[in-house]
Amino acid sequence: MTDLLTSTPTSVHPRSAPARIWNVVRLHLVDRRTYIGIPWLIVGMAFVVTVFFAQIVGFTNGGLGTPDAIAGQRYSWAVLAPQGYLIAVGVQAISFGFPLALGFGVTRRDFYLGTALLFVLISAANALAFAVLTQLEQLTEGWWIDTYMFNAIWLGIDGFWVDLFSFFVMQLLVFFVGASIATIYMRGRMPGMLVFWSSLALAIAGAVTIITFTSNSPTVAIWFGAQGIAGIFAWLLVPTALAAIGGFWALRRATPKN
Amino acid sequence: MNLTDPAVRVTGLTKKFGAFTAINDVSFTVETNKIYGLLGRNGAGKTTLMQLLTGQQFATSGTLEVFGASPLENARVLQSLCFIKETQKYPDSFRPAHVFASAPWFFANWDADFAGRLAEDFRLPLNRPIKKLSRGQLSAVGVIVGLASRAPLTFFDEPYLGLDAVARQIFYDRLLEDYAEHPRTIILSTHLIDEVSNLLEHVLVIDEGRILIDQDADELRGTASTVVGKKTDVDAFVAGRDIIFRDGIGALASVTVTGLGEAERATARAAGLEISPVSLQQLIVQRTTSQPSERDADRRAPGQRGRTGAGNGHSAEGRGDTPADQTESKTDAWSAHS
Repeated sequence: MTDLLTSTPTSVHPRSAPARIWNVVRLHLVDRRTYIGIPWLIVGMAFVVTVFFAQIVGFTNGGLGTPDAIAGQRYSWAVLAPQGYLIAVGVQAISFGFPLALGFGVTRRDFYLGTALLFVLISAANALAFAVLTQLEQLTEGWWIDTYMFNAIWLGIDGFWVDLFSFFVMQLLVFFVGASIATIYMRGRMPGMLVFWSSLALAIAGAVTIITFTSNSPTVAIWFGAQGIAGIFAWLLVPTALAAIGGFWALRRATPKN
Repeated sequence: MNLTDPAVRVTGLTKKFGAFTAINDVSFTVETNKIYGLLGRNGAGKTTLMQLLTGQQFATSGTLEVFGASPLENARVLQSLCFIKETQKYPDSFRPAHVFASAPWFFANWDADFAGRLAEDFRLPLNRPIKKLSRGQLSAVGVIVGLASRAPLTFFDEPYLGLDAVARQIFYDRLLEDYAEHPRTIILSTHLIDEVSNLLEHVLVIDEGRILIDQDADELRGTASTVVGKKTDVDAFVAGRDIIFRDGIGALASVTVTGLGEAERATARAAGLEISPVSLQQLIVQRTTSQPSERDADRRAPGQRGRTGAGNGHSAEGRGDTPADQTESKTDAWSAHS
């Protein structure tokens, strides 16, 4: 049945580490809808809702385009509409991507580095897009219809570079939080989840308790105020890095679910 | 990689999940460029063993070498493996087209034309979401990746699950054709033994985490024979022998016995009896169910079921050298224990 003289035995063509990691990025992006199509569809729908929302705010504040109406629209969270979906994408990048990557003969290390690189690239692209849209919205005075979606919450206050940096950090945090939750599940299943969520709840409750009992609430509030937008998002790099490094540590010993 | 080196070498491998021992002190080797059958009942440890071989699970103790090194986090080794599990998960929005588009980035020998032809042969809808595929179509995705990847060590995990008779024949034919052109090491795991028995060159039977049989397929078949003839003649011939399986219709009997030498075969033929090749499945069912003594009662179940269990629809799909109703009955007997 097997003629070794005329047939070509299968062989191994080792790929370099950068090529392997880049292939993981491509695997995540083979279905473009997940990271690009659906998030921007959500942004589009949020904008349509915002157009109506702007009319309501304008009506209750004495007319569209008045300073009060513009300030009122700043409370809208429409600009963050895709983030809930993107947390789920972060979860699924691990919970579905990891088992498939293992089946394709990818190491855990290459998979995690490729996934992290994907998060950085998508976060950078989204940050650039949202920072530019924020600028355009200011230039066109709310797309010529006094509708402000991107100049909201903290965006559009401290200028283009702060918007770019803060959105990048926020997006990266969203992805890595989603991914590390999935990774902890991969590693520890349900008990792992219980330990993780109860420790997190205890840590937050403990911190709040200590701050309250030492009457430090005003100090903390003043400290946050002193950081400014750029400062607060710089501090958010700490939980982002913790989630990223913790996810790597947990995934190195994780096994796919059967 | 030297062709004469084994593809897999496992020594004293144990895997425990808490108090449960899934793989218990297992040792074996897998030679390159052969088709191995990893056979065993549901829960015998087949998937765990394959996950250990592909670095997806961590061994509790023992050593494990694939192409000369531990597969764990070893990119060189893992790049030459392909293992799409029976329960393989895919990203939520994935369609088969996404799987086949990304596979070449991970399998150096990927043949896209071959994958395309296979998808047509299996009538796999490339643009239907994977979560909406039928069980058989899902199996086809794994089978196509396994075949078209041409990975030096390819695993097929229950490839027949849900496939119709035509699709099973296609898998059988394409695997043998492609294997002849591109020899590679193949480990095929299944609990449907008769379905694959003609493909296998070597058989590894695993039961309760231990390797029960590690033998060349032809050698294994040679350890038993089926004697067919008139009931009275057959009974006279097999009296006092180790009977594995007994079946019959009216005055005809077919009895499988162990270890017939050439002289004994000649005697049987002289007595007007026919000696026919034995089914691998019968042999393995007998070996896996006769270990602890309390299972002796179950041993006779296959023959009885063969007569009572017919007509529940699957018989027509039976393929191979055994009558369809026997395939049916033995499959039932085996899964009845799990």
